[in-house]
Amino acid sequence: MTVEIPKSIDQLPNPEPRYIGKRVTRREDAALLTGRVEFIDDVVLPRMLHAAILRSPFAHARIRSIDTREAEAMPGVEAVVTGADALRWQRVSGSSPDGWGGRCPAVDKVTFVGEPVAAVAATSRYLAEDALERIEVDYEPLEPVVDPFAAMEEGSPLVMEANGTNVMMHRVFTWGEVDEAFESAAHVFTERFRWNRVGANPMETFGTVCEWDPVTLELTVRGAIQSASFMGLGRAATFGLPTNLVNVKANAHGGSFGGKGGGRGIDIAAMLSRKAGGRPVKWIEDRVEYLTSGGSQAWDRHYEAELAVDADGRMTGFRVKLVDDLGANGEGYGSISAAKPLTAFTGPYTIPAAGYDLALVATNKLPSGPYRGMGPPPHFMVLEQLVDIAARALGVDPAEFRRRNFIPPEAFPYTIPSGNEYDSGSYEEVLDAALALAGYDDLLRWRDAARADGRVVGVGVATAVEPGVFDWNAYATVGLPQTGVPEGATVSFDIRGSATVRVGFAMEGQGQYTLVSQVVADYFSLDIDSVRVIQLDTLAAPPSFGPGGSRLGVAITGAVLGACERLAEKMRTVVAGLMQTTPETIQLSEGQFGIPGVPEAQMSLAQVAGTMLARSDLLPPGMDPLPEATYVWTAPDRTPADEMGRAKSYLTAAQAVHVVAVEIDPDTGQVEIVKYALADDCGTRLNPVVVEGQTDGGIAQGIGAALYEQYVYDDEGQPLTASFMDYLIPTIAEVPRSEKAAVVTPSPFTALGAKGCGEGAIHTTPAAVMCAVNDALAPLGVRARETPATPERLWRLISGARGNAAESEPNRREQQ
Amino acid sequence: MIGERRIRVSVNGTVYEVGVEPRTTLVDFIRGDLGLTGTHVGCEHGVCGACTVLVDGLAVRSCLMLAVQADGSEITTVEGLEGPEGELHPIQEAFREEHGLQCGFCTPGFLMATYEMLTDDPKPDEDEIMEVLGGQLCRCTGYQGIRRAVDSAIDKLGGTPPADVFGAGDPGEPDDPDADAVGAAPTGEGSHG
Amino acid sequence: MKPAPLDHAAPTTVGEAVALLNDPEREAVALAGGQSLMPMLNLRLARPDLLVDLTRIEGLDHIRESGGWIEMGAMATKRAVERSSLVRERQPMWHEATLQIGHPQIRNRGTVGGSMAQADPAAEYPAAAVALGGEVKAVGPSGERTIPATEFFLGYLTTALAPGEILTEVRVPVLPPGRGWAFREVCRRHGDFAMAGTAVTVDLDASGRCTATRIALFGVGPVPSRAVEAEKIVDGEAPGEEVFERAGRAAAGAIDEPLADVHASADYRRNLAAVLTGRALAQAVTRAARPEGS
Repeated sequence: MTVEIPKSIDQLPNPEPRYIGKRVTRREDAALLTGRVEFIDDVVLPRMLHAAILRSPFAHARIRSIDTREAEAMPGVEAVVTGADALRWQRVSGSSPDGWGGRCPAVDKVTFVGEPVAAVAATSRYLAEDALERIEVDYEPLEPVVDPFAAMEEGSPLVMEANGTNVMMHRVFTWGEVDEAFESAAHVFTERFRWNRVGANPMETFGTVCEWDPVTLELTVRGAIQSASFMGLGRAATFGLPTNLVNVKANAHGGSFGGKGGGRGIDIAAMLSRKAGGRPVKWIEDRVEYLTSGGSQAWDRHYEAELAVDADGRMTGFRVKLVDDLGANGEGYGSISAAKPLTAFTGPYTIPAAGYDLALVATNKLPSGPYRGMGPPPHFMVLEQLVDIAARALGVDPAEFRRRNFIPPEAFPYTIPSGNEYDSGSYEEVLDAALALAGYDDLLRWRDAARADGRVVGVGVATAVEPGVFDWNAYATVGLPQTGVPEGATVSFDIRGSATVRVGFAMEGQGQYTLVSQVVADYFSLDIDSVRVIQLDTLAAPPSFGPGGSRLGVAITGAVLGACERLAEKMRTVVAGLMQTTPETIQLSEGQFGIPGVPEAQMSLAQVAGTMLARSDLLPPGMDPLPEATYVWTAPDRTPADEMGRAKSYLTAAQAVHVVAVEIDPDTGQVEIVKYALADDCGTRLNPVVVEGQTDGGIAQGIGAALYEQYVYDDEGQPLTASFMDYLIPTIAEVPRSEKAAVVTPSPFTALGAKGCGEGAIHTTPAAVMCAVNDALAPLGVRARETPATPERLWRLISGARGNAAESEPNRREQQ
Repeated sequence: MIGERRIRVSVNGTVYEVGVEPRTTLVDFIRGDLGLTGTHVGCEHGVCGACTVLVDGLAVRSCLMLAVQADGSEITTVEGLEGPEGELHPIQEAFREEHGLQCGFCTPGFLMATYEMLTDDPKPDEDEIMEVLGGQLCRCTGYQGIRRAVDSAIDKLGGTPPADVFGAGDPGEPDDPDADAVGAAPTGEGSHG
Repeated sequence: MKPAPLDHAAPTTVGEAVALLNDPEREAVALAGGQSLMPMLNLRLARPDLLVDLTRIEGLDHIRESGGWIEMGAMATKRAVERSSLVRERQPMWHEATLQIGHPQIRNRGTVGGSMAQADPAAEYPAAAVALGGEVKAVGPSGERTIPATEFFLGYLTTALAPGEILTEVRVPVLPPGRGWAFREVCRRHGDFAMAGTAVTVDLDASGRCTATRIALFGVGPVPSRAVEAEKIVDGEAPGEEVFERAGRAAAGAIDEPLADVHASADYRRNLAAVLTGRALAQAVTRAARPEGS
């Protein structure tokens, strides 16, 4: 049967939904609030051991020898693994780009500080750490390379000698007549930018409990895992195991934002388990490990960018040259963040031509991993600064300049030069809503009056497209060629008519279990509290990727609605048979199946399900008697990437405009955000409470990236930001209250017209904050081109502008 | 091997007598020896506050205390907030209603810090609220929902001390000779050498 | 991150604590509030054989006024100091310094003596003690002695405490009527370690000119230090922006080798020292002009 998934709320069979689209309190919360949810470190299994990992103190060194005998003899120690075990049991890991993977623990050499060289499983973490101290490793230090430009030069130390170069990938993309656009432009604006390494830092680090049976080779993995299926496939490939021997049970976890990492931690814990006779081995990453050697670092970027503008203020071309320092290998999939900008390269603008010169470079730093937004946040910071530079040069108000370049509503679906298709948008409406909410004209008056008083103040208006519902083809350019990210769900009724939904993903914080309950409850006119959502592990679950790329809300809604449609059709067929009529005659209305207008010809869900289960003899011959249905949703009409990386990839395009006002203390460089207002459009808002929460979280991370957060390495590749005293996550004091307006332009392609919104505000916030900072600095003739815009960096710019004795460029030794 | 010390602690009103290694941190003791895993570990260097519990009524980072230091103390953890029938405490209810949590990992720390603040002062001013909340990190919520939740909790409690919501008042004195002592959970991760 | 094996003792008297700290067989370290030491233990950066836990010693947590001094037992918590109306009213700079330390959750356990003994360059209490002319009392195997704050901080994380000595008390003079004061710092986030800070006291003489100026910088160099040249620039002058800026620049120049780390370079710290000193002087003077001094 073909399933028609409702494209809007009013297409649901229930004309008065109580939950979908409403502000619904989350069902997950009572268990979380009372400390009842089992996070990975809460797991206790019989005979469980605890692992600790010995890590390289050098950024680059050969391992001459490793002696673990003393450690093995320590009390409580049950197993030790080294690179020899990795060589024995692992294949070279997959990577992106291809050919930049290795084994873990390291075999011949280490290529970043913190790289595992050995690991111990003991009866407590305390004892395991004691045992690490008894492992002797003989290192031969090698010269490290920590600057990507140095890494690209002839004669640089090579991170992976076998590859003969540190350039993992260098590609030049041209979309449209971009050279022509720049040659004939009335104005060309050029600038360089530096975006420093930042990363996810969920409050829970990674953790796992692995059981690898040495006899059957069954590998059972528990863990704080964002995508159970992706992780399981990765481990199966790494160990050369048939995929049906690997079972992943992802725990509810404490956030991820893409950057949970963990694959190598699982590999280590699994090998320890196998060596310990299959006993469960728990490894909990501590915060120092997360910061220096985990999934935590992303977007270490050097940009040169230029914008071509015609005489009418229309942008005609946008070129970006990016050197992306990916660290020591491609196992972290940080390359994806360099590819994703293709999905929204030109933002919400009608720029017809673009170019992207992309170099991914290896250095002796932690391999880069994913982080919320996956690359566009720095990209949009660059684009929006250039837009402001252009607007300022042409004497046009920055909001107005943007308005004149917006893709108009009637142009959607709109294919951008780099190939992705935006589904829908009302960009001017969003701009107007943001400006109105911000009181933009009053803000400008405030700014001008403050400036007249000698204060350094600025107002920034920034906009971004926030792509949603990722597909792998967005990353084809970095070696991930497939297409299709399925998400499945099974909806079932039991013999009493109680509803259960089986899904394949764990709780991560975005409220999807509530969303699932909303959908099923409204479809079948149930009370939301009566719907139970159960997570299955990977061997039992329907195909599932889980959260990521702002996909899960849309994908799971599609899957659940599809399953509801199938199940309803099944049940209508059963009722039709029992009532001796045709299925088309039977309607589902307010949780009852029956002939409309005939009160005696109605059956409750419980009656139908009960009949199916208990009286299959009454059912039409050959009919599947289970009152359940499964549907696997995949984004429709995705296309493989062509030779320029063009593909219909991310399905939805949400969009936002943020207005930020800042005041900078010129003597200290400290920034205070004095106003934050935004409007965003993510289509149908299935639960506005959750959407707003995601926005708030994205804003905080965006402010962190713009003003506070940076991973710092010294010249020897030693990480200097190894604790929360140095890597500065914003507290409540650093995040202003924001005012929000919602615009709703539904997607024509998704269930109920919702768009992906989980990554949300992090796409736009760094751009908006930097626009405001640079508006404040503009009268001084200086520009902040590096994130985070720390007080010191801003002070140097301002002092330089005022011609103070202080250096305007920092001394290299003290460079942050 | 450094010998174990026997300590006696009252946690959420239950008295435990357990042997611990001196180096065992209080958070590892609570989570591992006592099996009370609602308190979480986020950093082990005292910055994130996920491990916040009350020791003798004061909010402390339990990663920065040793279990042996808690001998004779009364500890309150998140498990001690709910009512006898599992009813959410008004502070918990406020967090739920105001979307003050997303992944929930940092939440017990915020709850305990809020609990202490409102025990100390039922109507804290803006500065006080920001001071206390500023000592806890959250990466999911961006803090707006948390702030709404705390404001709501102040209203809900309306001056009632948080400990009195379910009529329980103080748990028993830890050195009450008639109080039954409970040993540690038979299996647990962590601290035993 | 779990501590290395260690033993723990919780003496109930100062004498017992000193004896334990002076055991020649074992490396022993004093544990006060633990807010600085415990992270180091967790990271295995500190690995003593024995922790001598001072938190059970009786009689070390007083906060009282005596003979013109505010006397605080070394084990008085910062929370107790914060809530002390005696401190708030009689030595408002010490109260303000307390508010700047971390967050309430840290202040619940952190102690007065602990901050002083730890001697972190960015710590608030050492600077306030230096600015105010405070003193510490230490007890060791050879008995008790008093050390002026200006002689207590010798180098990076290094105090004049002899091995086996513990602090028992910190005392600062009551703020005299009419004395102006200011305590300011710049951090990356509220509650973080200061990148730089200034503690200033100043009197106004009968003609309204500055006198008895004391400026202590913290977070800039390895120890809190008096900016003596800057003090001389201010003394004898009428309050004014130009004087204060000049003093600020002199204060900045007084530090030979400012600290440099991921948060702030030496240059930037010097700049902050100058700016904060100027601003603190201006604020201190407005307080001095008001008879209540607050």
